[in-house]
Amino acid sequence: MNNDEAVIRLTEVEQSRAHFKLGPLNLNVPKGYVTAIVGPNGSGKSSTFRLLLDLAKADRGSMEMFGEPVGRDDVKLKQRVGYLPDDSLSEEDSLRGSERAAFTKIWYPGWDVNRYTELLNLFEVNPDLKLGKMSKGMRRKFELTLALSHDPELLLLDEPSSGLDPLAWKKMIEVLHHYMEQGNRTILMATHIIDEVRRLADYIVFLVNGRALGVYEKDELFSSWHIFYVQDERSVYELLSGIPGIRAKEKAGGGVIKVITNKAMDAEKWLQKEGIKITGRTPMELDEIMASLIDNDRLRMRQS
Amino acid sequence: MWIPIQINEQSAEPLYHQIGIQLRALIVSGQLEEGTLLPSIRELAQHLKCSVITIRRVYQNLETEGLLFTRQGTGTFVAQVGAEERSRHRLESVVEAFEAAVAAALRVQCTEEEMGDIYRSVVKERLRQSRQGD
Repeated sequence: MNNDEAVIRLTEVEQSRAHFKLGPLNLNVPKGYVTAIVGPNGSGKSSTFRLLLDLAKADRGSMEMFGEPVGRDDVKLKQRVGYLPDDSLSEEDSLRGSERAAFTKIWYPGWDVNRYTELLNLFEVNPDLKLGKMSKGMRRKFELTLALSHDPELLLLDEPSSGLDPLAWKKMIEVLHHYMEQGNRTILMATHIIDEVRRLADYIVFLVNGRALGVYEKDELFSSWHIFYVQDERSVYELLSGIPGIRAKEKAGGGVIKVITNKAMDAEKWLQKEGIKITGRTPMELDEIMASLIDNDRLRMRQS
Repeated sequence: MWIPIQINEQSAEPLYHQIGIQLRALIVSGQLEEGTLLPSIRELAQHLKCSVITIRRVYQNLETEGLLFTRQGTGTFVAQVGAEERSRHRLESVVEAFEAAVAAALRVQCTEEEMGDIYRSVVKERLRQSRQGD
């Protein structure tokens, strides 16, 4: 990831609030890729977006977008960004879609009316409706259309699929894939939809309690985190502490031990070398990996 | 364009390796002919539900091996494959598949003899089916 140009660069960013502390956050978002921020509710995903758009101020640290510091030449930077906030603004309820679009258009020189119309048709959105009268899904699709219609270089999507039905969701995924085709576009998205990460992401950032627990290449992550089930005999349980990448082990009953590793290939070789019988194995899902990372993080915090 | 590549999620073998072997086999076997335009990196990644990083790596590796070439702004194409190359790579994906089968057998503590029996009966059955198909 270091070889790639970073579109967003956060260095030691901190924001303290009465009930929540974000950071210190260090994060590079590489150009040309889809980076997904995943994390439990209240882990700081939306706060991070708000900081990036200068809608809130950080107490410490530096933030760069396209190599420029965030918070100075605001208008120019924001014209290159498409932002989909997690919640709709209730202040806009009485505006018709077309009125809202006319307002957006003023601010973005790159506004492409054909693109706007094409997306409205694709998503089957009626822009004559007042935003407050649209269903949750239609409003989401409308707001996604707005975020995409000025041909931004960077998309910041906060829980983009909330409220979308499966058909609309599929269309959204296709639109975002198509958006990325050009190769120089970048998406940073917050999500907790596992399938969304599977289909879209290239990199995954785990954000927990306001801190990033690492940036992972998606395919590498999924192929290295596996659960092995091995036969409980001799002193295998004790021996297993030495398995490469061990994250957890437990007796699963029925004479079987369950081991979680984040170095599946090495672990498999090690088991064979030690003559331990593997009775089953399964790759882990994103939520399971996250749960394990959170457990480990808690342990480390308690120890320090 | 649809490319018949299958990913085994149960395997700890890295995805770029799994995909690379199968794509190489499709090229050297001639199933993908010389001059074929491959899907874009993003397109193939979407189709296989993996990341563009993986596909880029596969394309780059195969390009280094001389099996693919990229024309700037147009895309990635299948290169000409020599006869020697062809025979060298022909069995690679077969060996890989056999290895996976043996690993599956070892997981349930198959003996060598049992594996041999299974192998022979599968081969026999397959050959019989394909003869019937003709």
